[in-house]
Amino acid sequence: MHLPGKVFALLSPLFLALLAPLPATAAESPEIVCIQCHSAMPGRLGEPVKLWKGSIHAENGIACNACHGGDPKNAANAMSPARGFLGAPKETAIPAFCGRCHVGVMRDYLASAHGKALGKGGPTCVTCHSNHHVVKASLDLINEKNCSRCHGFERARLIRDAMQETEGMIVAIDTRIAAYKEEGTDTEGMQKGLFAVRNRFHTLFHNVDAAMVKKESAGIQGDLRKIQNQLTALDASRQKRKLAGAGGISAMLLLALFAHLLRKTYD
Amino acid sequence: MTLLKRLIDWFDVRIGAREVVARELTGYLLPRNINTWYSMGSILLFIFAMQMVTGILLLIYYVPDADKAFKSVTFIMNEVPFGWLIRLCHAVGSNLMVLVLLFHMLSVLFMNSYKSPRELNWLTGFILFTMIQGISLTGYLLPWSQLSFWATTVATNSVGAIPAIGPYLVEFLRGGKLVGPPTLGRFFALHVVLIPTGIGALIGAHLFFLQRTGVSTPPFGQKETANQWKGDGYRYESHPEGIPFFPVYALEDIRSIFIYLACFLGVVFFFPNLLFTKEAFLPANPLQTPLHIKPEWYFLANYQTLKIFPSEFLGLAVQGIAMTFLALLPFIDRDPERHPLKRPLFMVCALGGLLLWIGLGVWGHYS
Repeated sequence: MHLPGKVFALLSPLFLALLAPLPATAAESPEIVCIQCHSAMPGRLGEPVKLWKGSIHAENGIACNACHGGDPKNAANAMSPARGFLGAPKETAIPAFCGRCHVGVMRDYLASAHGKALGKGGPTCVTCHSNHHVVKASLDLINEKNCSRCHGFERARLIRDAMQETEGMIVAIDTRIAAYKEEGTDTEGMQKGLFAVRNRFHTLFHNVDAAMVKKESAGIQGDLRKIQNQLTALDASRQKRKLAGAGGISAMLLLALFAHLLRKTYD
Repeated sequence: MTLLKRLIDWFDVRIGAREVVARELTGYLLPRNINTWYSMGSILLFIFAMQMVTGILLLIYYVPDADKAFKSVTFIMNEVPFGWLIRLCHAVGSNLMVLVLLFHMLSVLFMNSYKSPRELNWLTGFILFTMIQGISLTGYLLPWSQLSFWATTVATNSVGAIPAIGPYLVEFLRGGKLVGPPTLGRFFALHVVLIPTGIGALIGAHLFFLQRTGVSTPPFGQKETANQWKGDGYRYESHPEGIPFFPVYALEDIRSIFIYLACFLGVVFFFPNLLFTKEAFLPANPLQTPLHIKPEWYFLANYQTLKIFPSEFLGLAVQGIAMTFLALLPFIDRDPERHPLKRPLFMVCALGGLLLWIGLGVWGHYS
């Protein structure tokens, strides 16, 4: 009555194939040559790598070559001008350097008092945003420590206060959208809406006209409320689902109790 | 009532319906000391039926094309009326099916109901278990999300560790060198046609064997707990003093199914994301590997086993040996004693194995 060895031999690979267990780790993408070399260098040559690793650029996968050009896969030609290497820009060329990607922001900056003072002691992008440790643009950048390096903080404070409420709304909406997205809700429409509104809002960041900032902020808040209403409708729908779920669970438990009591009548 | 009686009479004179009911339902007697664990099989039949129904409903809107699959699932979850409910029922149901199946197997194991003459019941049940794992694995890819894409990549990768045929098997499973649109087509065919047909056939065989051997008597509360069957001839284990399946035990089955449904709805409505990570809601991107892709909870022990062995092949071999041992347990364990408390060595091994499996799973989750 014992199972023959042949069946054992036949079944073993079947189980192996069907179970298909998983290996230890997922593959990681290799580092580009810029980081491989510079991270081992001391002082100012190695410092940018450390700074970049904590930046919004690193978070979004924007590596060295995206700004500085060159060939990130070939150590010998990584810094070859023939492969598009640009190196570090001169001070007056910085807005154009960053503006290759941040087109609208460059336009706003050049139209502002800051931009008009370019090359005459005025600030460039990196003065406020830093060059390698570029953090996500937010109102926190407008602070006394930053602004008072060049001028008084009074007018900057007025502008920041006018934008504070809108910024708070954007952050809160963004967080709620992200939470819905993480549970499978189609948030594409809301995300696009918020992206457009946020871009409009960010054009104000380089504006130094306090009255205009206040007026524009009011309009932006109106658009944000429309997205808030969509989120409130989603909240209500989820609440209804929970109520329906509670009803369903209660019904099932009552039916189980009924079946149990009916069963007892046959004892 | 008159209409119902006339309808029954109509059937009875044609197919002898009352005789079938008397033999298979009211006259089908079960052991007096039968317990709730015996309801697990009925719950599993109910879950399988529900997976079929929700699966067919999902097929109406699901598109098995790599460019459209993720969008079609998003459409089901957000636009189709009650699509979210159907999809969640299918996804949660697949996980609970594995859980209830494990309970069913453990109850059979600890009550020693797998012993002769029920070797075929156990074997068909064990193959069903591997097929349920297979249908879960193939279904995992279908939403074409980051989670499904990368989980399938690593799962199919591990098959490559099988000597000689491994690399060919990987390519055969994927339909190419890498997971891609051909893999989706293959897994879709396996998930909706081949494996369900196999499961249906095996359920039929499993029930047929149960019908032919009769329901085993639980070893609890009995004076004589040793297996009485000597292998000298066919014997149906009848229970002349037992309780009728219908309506008495059927009501117990129904009660268990309603309790299961209450738990199931609890997960669907209150913890819908218990089984999903955020990668499950991002479209598959072959160029962006997520940092920590973990398999489903029931594969975590396998996953951790592969990590603790120095070579992947060794890890696979150990798992293959363990699974083959479990599959052939009724042929290996010939001790006639069925009461678990009278078998201390068996209890230590069984509980130790279960704790090891849970421990490896927890380790795999946090590793």
